[in-house]
Amino acid sequence: MDKSATKAGYVVLQGNEACVKAAIYAGCRFFAGYPITPSTEIIEMMSEEMPICGGAFIQMEDEIASSCAIVGARWGGKKAMTATSGPGFTLMQEAIGYAAVTETPVVIVNVQRGGPATGQPTLSSQQDIYQARYGSHGDYEMIALAPSTVQEMYDFTVKAFELAEKYRTPVVLLADEVVGHMREKIIIKKGTMDVMPDKIVGTASPRADFFTGKNVLVEGQLHDERGRRIGHLAEKSGEFITKLNSKISNNVDLITDIKTYFLEDSDTAIVAYGSVERPAMDAVRLARGIKDDRVSATVKFVKNVFRKGVPAAMRTDYSHLKVGVIKINTPWPFPQGELRRLTRDVKLVIVPEMNIGKYYREIERALPDKKVVSLPKCGGNLHTPKEILDTVLKEMGVNE
Amino acid sequence: MRLNVRFSGAGGQGVILASVLLAKAYGLGEDYNISQTQSYGPEARGGACKAEVVISDENIDYPKVDSADVFVAFNQMGYNKYCEQVGKSAIVLVNSTLVETEDENAYCIPATDIAEEMGKPFVVNMVMLGALTKLLPKIYYPTVEAEIKENFSASIAGPNIEAYSKGYEYMANSSCSNSQFLIE
Repeated sequence: MDKSATKAGYVVLQGNEACVKAAIYAGCRFFAGYPITPSTEIIEMMSEEMPICGGAFIQMEDEIASSCAIVGARWGGKKAMTATSGPGFTLMQEAIGYAAVTETPVVIVNVQRGGPATGQPTLSSQQDIYQARYGSHGDYEMIALAPSTVQEMYDFTVKAFELAEKYRTPVVLLADEVVGHMREKIIIKKGTMDVMPDKIVGTASPRADFFTGKNVLVEGQLHDERGRRIGHLAEKSGEFITKLNSKISNNVDLITDIKTYFLEDSDTAIVAYGSVERPAMDAVRLARGIKDDRVSATVKFVKNVFRKGVPAAMRTDYSHLKVGVIKINTPWPFPQGELRRLTRDVKLVIVPEMNIGKYYREIERALPDKKVVSLPKCGGNLHTPKEILDTVLKEMGVNE
Repeated sequence: MRLNVRFSGAGGQGVILASVLLAKAYGLGEDYNISQTQSYGPEARGGACKAEVVISDENIDYPKVDSADVFVAFNQMGYNKYCEQVGKSAIVLVNSTLVETEDENAYCIPATDIAEEMGKPFVVNMVMLGALTKLLPKIYYPTVEAEIKENFSASIAGPNIEAYSKGYEYMANSSCSNSQFLIE
């Protein structure tokens, strides 16, 4: 294990380890957590790394305390993060709401596992997609990022700190077991970056940052710009809540991060977030007949063919299918506008998810004039490319 | 080229570590794209354990293995569970101390015996890794050796390197060894 976060270059890291490296690069100097599979590697590695880089690590008595501790640490002037999985994320909801109303920028990593309750410690899921958005009570907007590769786990952790500071809000990194435990070759950066933004976007109480020498009044009840309680004043409270939500809902297009592949000429789009994007991408390559072949005696020949272009005779039956992938990196706030723009020429939308079919509802609501098909998979395994391809073929009416 | 490698065995045999070292050797040593995943039960030792490495010179989209091009079985349970999910002309490598196979084309190495002869039964995964290095394309003895040295502290790197070299040599001297059929 590479001990120093300051070494740059190519490394082979697990998603969870990449998350730690990225947090330290982003300036995180406080970590409180309680170990839970499949996020334990983050806590384990943080306990080693934090003392090295001059930060503090505390193993708390539970996840409630962990999430409260990072809110307090941020008030004390340090960037702070915690990591957990399903059951722990449920316990953290109280402090997430508190961080939202007190406008405390913290990062919560949820390496999703199967639920409900204790569920499946060692298997993956995307079941917490709605909990990340609506888990705590009251009206608040949430930013959530969903990585699908180890490199993205690194990049999005840095981005989570940036967004948290910019919008003064808690940010959830919604990873899953597949990404958390996968090892890939990634490139990591040197030193520590200052993620403090030039401009903080329209906070509800535009006061000085914590621990900058100014007196700051922090209040969990609804409060005015100076931190004084206004919970009993309906009109002012309404203004506060509107401001609290609109700092994110007015900037959805700025926050939104969507990648598209092969979408230019597509009439069918697979919309995916998190690790499910990867088999979806494979399915699209299969559908378009450009899938790289397995290692075999013909590998040389096939490679030559790739270089010169695939002749029509070599294509699979499906190679005329116009399928593309829309990969949503920021599931929350819901990227409605961008999604509508991207799917202008698309007729059929397929939404594979490692849950009972949740995010599909949001997409169906946003795209009322398209045929939206849910492709849920429960049980903890990633979709296989074949499963996604089969659904694409079925829904497009091929080989029926 | 895309090479799908699957390891299976019992928790405690070092199955995952062997896969990680192979992934690092291909990824850092030979500059391929790699993706290593694993699945295991809640037990620390004894439960079924599977690790997968995908090696490719292109981007790796689907990070798991459907049908393996290379299948490495550390014990009978692992062999029985996944022996059907291998591709045509796949390389099958088994720890013949613990695995009985009817597959005539399988490469056999008594890895547990070799490790126990050394008096260090825990290096069985390094024996298997050595044998595997001999069989796989585009990977060379010193690349994997460097990753083993990197991974262990100096005091325990020695026996691990020794086991690795024993595995490699066993496969090199084995009459059926032929690493050329995969790649022309």
